[in-house]
Amino acid sequence: MLPAPFTSEFLSRLECLRLRTRREVLGGRPGSYSSPRRGTSLEFADYRAYTPGDDIRYIDWGIFARTDRLYVKLFREEVDLFVYLFIDASGSMVFPSIREKFSPACHVALALAYVVLANHDHVKLHLLQENPTPVVSPFFRGRHRIMDCADILSSFTPRGPIDLAPALGEHLKRVRRPGKAIVLSDFLMPTSSCQQGLNLLRAFNLDISVIQVLSRQELDPSFPDGNLVVGEPESDEEIRLQWSADIRRKYQERLEHHNRQLRSFCHQEGIHSSLYVTDQELSEFVLQTLPSIGLFR
Amino acid sequence: MEFLNPVGLYAFSLLPVLLIPYLIWRRSRRIVFSSLLLIRDFPSDSVSRIWGRLRLPLIFFLQLLFLLLLVLALGEPVLTARRPENLAIILDNSASMQALEGPTSRFEIAKEEARGLLQHLPNGVRVDLFLVVPKLGRIGEPALTPGEALAIIGTLNPYDLGDSSNDYGEVLSRLAKDSSYDRIFFLTDHPVVEQGGRVRVISVGQPQGNLAITSFHLTRVSFASSRLRARIEVTNFSSKRQKVKLSLKGGGRLLSTQTQAVSPGKSVSVFFEGVSIHPYYEAEIKPPDALALDNRRFAVPPSSKGLSVLGISPRPRALDSLRSIPGLTLKVIPPDAYEKTTSGRETLEIFHFSAPAVLPQSHALFVLPPEDNPLVFLDRPLTSPEISSWRDPHPLTRYVNFALFRPVYARPLRSRSFGDDIIQSPEGPLAIVLEREGFRYLVLGFDPFPYLGRDNLPVSIFTLNLLGWFREGLMGSSTTTGKPLQFPDRRSTRMLVTPLGERIPIKKGPYFFYRTFFQGIYQVVGDNKKELKAVNFLDEKESDLANPSPVNLKRVTKATDRRSIDLSLWTYLLLLSLLLLFLEWLFNPPVARFPYLTERRGLQIKP
Repeated sequence: MLPAPFTSEFLSRLECLRLRTRREVLGGRPGSYSSPRRGTSLEFADYRAYTPGDDIRYIDWGIFARTDRLYVKLFREEVDLFVYLFIDASGSMVFPSIREKFSPACHVALALAYVVLANHDHVKLHLLQENPTPVVSPFFRGRHRIMDCADILSSFTPRGPIDLAPALGEHLKRVRRPGKAIVLSDFLMPTSSCQQGLNLLRAFNLDISVIQVLSRQELDPSFPDGNLVVGEPESDEEIRLQWSADIRRKYQERLEHHNRQLRSFCHQEGIHSSLYVTDQELSEFVLQTLPSIGLFR
Repeated sequence: MEFLNPVGLYAFSLLPVLLIPYLIWRRSRRIVFSSLLLIRDFPSDSVSRIWGRLRLPLIFFLQLLFLLLLVLALGEPVLTARRPENLAIILDNSASMQALEGPTSRFEIAKEEARGLLQHLPNGVRVDLFLVVPKLGRIGEPALTPGEALAIIGTLNPYDLGDSSNDYGEVLSRLAKDSSYDRIFFLTDHPVVEQGGRVRVISVGQPQGNLAITSFHLTRVSFASSRLRARIEVTNFSSKRQKVKLSLKGGGRLLSTQTQAVSPGKSVSVFFEGVSIHPYYEAEIKPPDALALDNRRFAVPPSSKGLSVLGISPRPRALDSLRSIPGLTLKVIPPDAYEKTTSGRETLEIFHFSAPAVLPQSHALFVLPPEDNPLVFLDRPLTSPEISSWRDPHPLTRYVNFALFRPVYARPLRSRSFGDDIIQSPEGPLAIVLEREGFRYLVLGFDPFPYLGRDNLPVSIFTLNLLGWFREGLMGSSTTTGKPLQFPDRRSTRMLVTPLGERIPIKKGPYFFYRTFFQGIYQVVGDNKKELKAVNFLDEKESDLANPSPVNLKRVTKATDRRSIDLSLWTYLLLLSLLLLFLEWLFNPPVARFPYLTERRGLQIKP
């Protein structure tokens, strides 16, 4: 069963959306996404000198009349899309709770998956963990497979630490077809680590989009003033600090700087990026924010 | 300024408790955050210490001030409005003040306190000194100067007497009401409740355990026996089981010892059998404790070997049957001859169908006295009365089979004043006992005589019981301190030697010596013979050093408030503290007081 935000109205609105790619994709079957290969679509691509054996229906007779040479018209091939959804399933995704961070991230992933499936494209879920055997779903196609996606995501519990680049590397070993990669994570890791991971995706010729998922507690921590011993779910490390309004302000400045660096990198590398604060309405984020950054068309 | 309830000031020690909530609030709380990346190098200088830097808010000092005022109010501070001019110093000189508190006695501590009071008095102040035993009374001249009072206090010693009053609060209240003293100091070992008014009680000493001999008697084994049996009762006034060694001395020589364990709050009786006759006896327990006085007791042996009976009867043959009892000497006279007989020689007088005009100064048995007797009224005669009930246990009813106890003739009795009913018939009591001035009286509404021995066992046993009961009254003739010693009329002058060695001449005629303030053997020397009397301090309330009764000054406070020279501050302090409490509530509402409660939502606290 789909989670609560997935009402029939929301689903029908999702069906109207299509993912937008910034580059041509190499699909397996005819679809609606441009391929670098020439094919039989109605969209003109180029001319090529006629060679015996070419279908004479594609000879451009106008050029032949003007130049007395035979040219055939080439058309773009339109193929289906392979979408890879990389979902951060590390321990940090349980703060302040699974319900308040990991589940909203999964809801976004499900919405994206449904958009893909509704367009008869392929979607594959990658749950990022430091695990010797990466958790990867098979490719799903057809909107009815959204239930399978929901089952996989709901049965998974985030835990453990993660280093983005190696984790992505493990998953990318199983990626055979180029397509679109969407990464959902809190990206609360060193910027260099984020960049390495995203560069790795670029190296695999994937069209990348990034959705940063943060809870309200992370944006505006409301710790009690005073001495704190702060631990993190991904490691046993603890630090002591004296929390105060001043420190809270400094933390927010650092987070803003960190996010700005991430956005700047994405912008430079042609990556769609967006921030999803988990107390935001899912429909509002998917139907308004994501189209505004060009993820949908 | 002084504090009427200084114990309340101990609450100051609780003030640091106020810091605890602040320490808890300031203590490092463990929380979990998604990533330490962005907070890793924030300052943490203060948390290296265990409690962190304690930043106390202003409200803490307000709360501290509130508590300070509250504790001060608890101490009941008073300001002396004017200098006291007339003082009364009352020293408790009862026996319990002899108890040792370390190396010194409580009385010495009290004297030291009194000296401390007097030494700080300015010239012109007048002092009256009082002692509480044998009764509350002034010593020395009235209106002494502090120097004169100091000189008198140096000569004072405690008596071997119990407290003269059960309610010192009442005594002090009366004194404060009837006198014009600006201040009355009572130095005692009793704790105080509700100090106030013009009276100040200065308590010395702490509750402590104590062992005491609470009874010491010597009795003859039988009427004719030349040996005695000593009974010593030891009571443990402490909270732990104690092992005591009892020694019995006769004439200053150790006769026997026994060891016995005594449970807390319990008494044990120890018997020494076959004790030979000595001029006097002394019982002592060891180990020594705080109050040495009640670890020793004295007794003298019964004055006569057997039981000497004077029978006054119009029917002498019935009484003559008593001669068959060994150890009993009997002289029977008619009632008319009683007044002419010199009294005081016989130990028991039996008035058989007769009664004297006044109660005799000896133990006496009244058998069916005439209507005009001084003790009882007699109801209408009964034939073969039934015995419906009897006092049990009682030495008079011991071993008597009342199912077979059938007097032929009886008259129910009604006591004129007071008395204990021993045997009762449905129509009224048939035997009444009473004790007056140390003498035992038994009135019978039936005639147990003649003494028939085995032929009428129930009545014979009863007769022997009553003779034994009278004999018990003669045994171990000791009295308690504070009770007068009575000396019968003698024709020559004698000398009384007290335990302290004081020699007091006794004039001719009947004599009562009242100043029996010390425990020991009192000797009467004269007529070429020595008579000994044992006087013992016997007061269980005094011996119980663990539970002294408190002095309640509640009534004193009420009685003397108007004339008090003190201005009580506790009401003002209480009002002020309430005002501070209101301010604290105003500036620090509960939500602000516990900010973390509101901010805690959404945080994961590590277990």
